Amino acid sequence: MADQGGLEGSQPVDLKKHPSGIVPTLQNIVSTVNLDCKLDLKNIALSARNAEYNPKRFAAVIMRIREPKTTALIFASGKMVCTGAKSEQQSKLAARKYARIIQKLGFPAKFKDFKIQNIVGSCDVKFPIRLEGLAYSHGAFSSYEPELFPGLIYRMKQPKIVLLIFVSGKIVLTGAKVRDETYTAFENIYPVLTEFRKNQQ
Amino acid sequence: MATFELYRRSTIGMCLTDTLDEMVQNGTLRPELAFQVLVQFDKSMTEALENQVKSKVTIKGHLHTYRFCDNVWTFILQNATFKHEECQENVGRVKIVACDSKLLTQ
Repeated sequence: MADQGGLEGSQPVDLKKHPSGIVPTLQNIVSTVNLDCKLDLKNIALSARNAEYNPKRFAAVIMRIREPKTTALIFASGKMVCTGAKSEQQSKLAARKYARIIQKLGFPAKFKDFKIQNIVGSCDVKFPIRLEGLAYSHGAFSSYEPELFPGLIYRMKQPKIVLLIFVSGKIVLTGAKVRDETYTAFENIYPVLTEFRKNQQ
Repeated sequence: MATFELYRRSTIGMCLTDTLDEMVQNGTLRPELAFQVLVQFDKSMTEALENQVKSKVTIKGHLHTYRFCDNVWTFILQNATFKHEECQENVGRVKIVACDSKLLTQ
C-alpha cells in the first residue's frame, strides 16, 4: 500500500500529516455491501466452504476466507457485512471475493452500495498517562470508571471518534469512516496525552 | 430414543449390513427384522461409545475446510496426526463429521 501501514520505524513518517511522529495502525475495517438478490442461506451453507449457519442463534451465514483474512455475515436479504480486514482496499477485495463465491453458487449477486462503516486503529505513545487528570480536565468528553473498565473513554466531537486511552499509553481509536479521521483524532489528542504524561518514580 | 445412522458406514456397520442383505436375499430373515437389527445397531453403537469406550484420541492438523449446518459440523483436515496413548499415525486428508448428541434427546 502507498500509505503508511503503521509499520513504525520502517518507513519515514510524513510529519506534516502526523506531527506526533506516530501513525495509528489500522486493526479492523467493517464494510457493508448489497448483493441485491434474495439468498437461500441453507443452500449457501451446504455448498460453500468454511460456512456456519445456525438459524436458531443467528439469521446469517458466517463465512470466512483466508486472503484477505476476513469474516462475512451474509443475510437472506442479500445484505452482507465484511469484517476483519486491515485496510479499506483489503475490505473491498474481500467483499468482492465473497460476492464471487455467492455468484458461483448460482445467485445473481451484484455489488451495490459498498461502504466502509467503521475503521479501528491503535497505537502506543510509549509513556504512561494520568487518566484521572485527563478525565477531570476534559470532563465533557471523558468517561473514566476504573471499576467498570480500566481505560478512559474519550468521545471526541470533531472528528466524531471514540478513543480508548489506557494508563500504559496504548490508544484505540474507533468510529471512523475514513482513515484520516483516525489520524486527525490522534493528532488532536496527542498534545493532551503529553500534558497528562505520568512522571515515573 | 432416536439415533443417528452415522455408524452404519463404519467397517462393522457395513459388515452387518452386508450380512443382513445376504440373509434377506436367501430368505433366512424378513426385511422388517433386518431393519430392526440395524436400528438396534445404531442404538448399541451410541450406547457403547458413550459408556464403554474410555480411551481418548487427539487429532491435530491443518483445517482446510469447515462447515456447520443443521447442527452437524464437518471438518476436512490435511496432514493430520492421530494420537492415541503411545501410538501416533499421520493421515494426509481426513473428513470429520460430528453431530450434536443433544439433538437426539430433544
